[in-house]
Amino acid sequence: MASQAEPLILGHPTFRTITDDVSQLTERKTPLPWYFLFAMAVSLALLLFGMLAYLFIEGVGVWGVNIPIAWGWAIINFVFWVGIGHAGTLISAILFLLRQKWRTSINRFAEAMTIFAVICALIFPSVHVGRIWLVYWLFPYPNQMAMWPNFRSPLEWDIFAVFTYFVVSAMFWFVGLVPDLATLRDRAKNLRRKKIFGFLALGWRGGNRQWKHYELAYLLLAGLSTPLVLSVHSVVSTDFATSQLPGWHTTIFPPYFVAGAVFSGFAMVTTLAIIVRRVFHIEHIITLKHLENMAKVMLATSLMVGYAYSVEFFIAWYSGNMYERFVFINRALGPYAWGYWTMITCNVLVPQLFWFKKLRTSIPVLFIATIFINIGMWFERFVIIVSSLSQDFLPSSWAYYRPTWGDILTFIGSFGLFFSLFLLFVRFLPIVAMAEVKGVLPEANPHYENKGEHS
Amino acid sequence: MNIQLTKNSLATKVSLIIGVLGLALSLLGFFANHEQFFYSWLVAFAFWMSIALGGLFFVLIHHLSGAVWSVVLRRFPESFMAILPFMAIFFFPIALGLYDLYHWAHADAIAHDALLQEKAPYLNIVFFILRTVFFFIVWSVFGRLFYRFSIKNDVTGDAGYITKAKKISPPAVILFAFTVTFAAFDWLMSLDPHWYSTIFGVYYFAGSTMATYAITTLFVLYFAKGPLANMVSVEHYHDLGKLIFTFTIFWAYMTFSQYFLIWYANIPEETVWFAHRWHGSWKVVTLVLAVGHFVLPFFIMLVRAVKRNPLALTIFALWMLLMHFIDIFWLVMPNLHKEGAVFSWMDATTMIGIGGLFLWLVFLHLSKHSLVPINDPQLQNSIHHTG
Repeated sequence: MASQAEPLILGHPTFRTITDDVSQLTERKTPLPWYFLFAMAVSLALLLFGMLAYLFIEGVGVWGVNIPIAWGWAIINFVFWVGIGHAGTLISAILFLLRQKWRTSINRFAEAMTIFAVICALIFPSVHVGRIWLVYWLFPYPNQMAMWPNFRSPLEWDIFAVFTYFVVSAMFWFVGLVPDLATLRDRAKNLRRKKIFGFLALGWRGGNRQWKHYELAYLLLAGLSTPLVLSVHSVVSTDFATSQLPGWHTTIFPPYFVAGAVFSGFAMVTTLAIIVRRVFHIEHIITLKHLENMAKVMLATSLMVGYAYSVEFFIAWYSGNMYERFVFINRALGPYAWGYWTMITCNVLVPQLFWFKKLRTSIPVLFIATIFINIGMWFERFVIIVSSLSQDFLPSSWAYYRPTWGDILTFIGSFGLFFSLFLLFVRFLPIVAMAEVKGVLPEANPHYENKGEHS
Repeated sequence: MNIQLTKNSLATKVSLIIGVLGLALSLLGFFANHEQFFYSWLVAFAFWMSIALGGLFFVLIHHLSGAVWSVVLRRFPESFMAILPFMAIFFFPIALGLYDLYHWAHADAIAHDALLQEKAPYLNIVFFILRTVFFFIVWSVFGRLFYRFSIKNDVTGDAGYITKAKKISPPAVILFAFTVTFAAFDWLMSLDPHWYSTIFGVYYFAGSTMATYAITTLFVLYFAKGPLANMVSVEHYHDLGKLIFTFTIFWAYMTFSQYFLIWYANIPEETVWFAHRWHGSWKVVTLVLAVGHFVLPFFIMLVRAVKRNPLALTIFALWMLLMHFIDIFWLVMPNLHKEGAVFSWMDATTMIGIGGLFLWLVFLHLSKHSLVPINDPQLQNSIHHTG
């Protein structure tokens, strides 16, 4: 199968050059721009923490939420970040099970991105009532007050689903890192690096038996993570779909949310991949082919999301239910129509560019389109949450929803946390899975014959 | 290399005879109890249509994803989709039985039902027929077109036909998704015209695709003993087994999403659909479906050895086809037998009637051309595919 296929890694690298190209990124002196970017990201992260402190002191009144829109930006941001956190495990688990070898170049930082996105996501449910000192109420701890979490509430399932996802993703990521950490340990030029990476590498020696165990563990973790990729966003969708609210209660929500999550996650991975490959000069490892494949996944998931939008709209009419009909017509033509059409434009129309090979292999087009998709997917949650709540069954409480500066700055701040973590990752850990990339080089094939093309 | 099914093989003749007998008996049933006949016919029609449509989906995804492993067995799903235009003939009894099948086709019922009046612009006889005609045009065009590409590639050896198939497959998948969704809404969901579920189209699709992989597996295993002996290997069985397994889980995911959200929200106009299916002996059928279509196959098919053993895989594929039948039976029949599950002899004869002719047409197509796409550039890679 691999005989006529295009090579996944360009420029005839050897095992040695792959190790050098990736490892030296963590070994060289910290480049100046990194400090600059990190300072910016950390400032934004501090903004987030400042806004959270303000929230804890003042209460949720600092946000624009009110009845009937009791769920505002906090849950929009939560769903937005969890959605982004779907690409990593999809790439590492599902594409692994499907034997999609092209995933090896991008899985490491996609997984890292997943973990950081889930961290950002977990902030919002933890703080959303403004009383952080009661956050332990979310957990079913043994308690004498007989105060148990409501297990029948989908919001509680969220906590379990997202925490499980976080733990398994982090474990999966770390297991994948072990051989590469050992490589960094072996290359370490000073004792401190040797000690730290030696500790993290868990005594990895690269022996035959260790590889055998490692591969089995990786396969099992992939198998375990696969249902999680689907379950997390399915559970998130039940936050809405188990209710009786028109626009929320519809049976297609679980698969539709999963498709949307994969869509937004791939958009974020592509945005970051475009920057990372350029800044770190690893265009031969993350090639145009990888970006093109991701564009295809985005096109496919965009069509699935578009399918869900249309079927929802049709069934709202077909139901004959006046409330259902009203909500959907109101979405498209009502006070939040601008949000609806932003969503349709970014999520359904923009990805249609990827039908054309020329456009999906053009870096500027991809970069801009993926940013549009990220915006569109934020608006999808905005449309679902705000448009369904704002005009509910009591016309007397209808009012136009406006976020406060508290909403906006908290959301912007969450990007600061995300990028701080991401910058730390690209500085100190191997951003490409070296051991796995070597596995897809032609040299790794037992039947490989070097026909005199010494590189 | 020429691997061909002999013309007028035993299988071809037997399926024709069985099919005609089944149809003749069903016709008797029409005179005995026409309401039962129409419902049984709808179940059988929806079952065999799901295989034909699943064949189209198999081929579209094969080209779309540039699959290699499935080249050697592509001719089987290709012949399922090639007979899509002929399947339209089996729709005629449904068109004749609209009044018996669909409550929304009763003018007097609409007059007393505000909801049906609201839905009348969509749920009316003329538009319903026009939509089905449109669906069959779309499916027949794609079914025949992709079949032609494959056959032309066989005859001329021009790989350009495969490239063409690859080019057309993405837009074809989009049309496929919408036509199948609305066909499921029309034929099956509108049996209970007040009830609605956005996931219903995907639900029908999930079961159909699973069934198509199951029946493709049976064809592959059948021919593996004869003409395909040196072409398909245990790796192909394994992959087919994995696909049946995947779509079994996908079906369960769709089923559970639909059930769970309706159960939780507990809105009477939605729960009534499940209430019918939890009434009297329908409860048993519901449980059989939950256990037989998901729980058992999940744990059994998780085992690698089962997917790689031809006998176990045969039993499993047959079991899943039976479950797919029960699934469609469960979707349709509670609208007729409200008090409890009744299995009529007509359920068997219509299934055998349409199924016999379906298989006869498939065998006719298979005997006209090579059983494998001999000139596909990826054929050798597919044969030596190692999983």
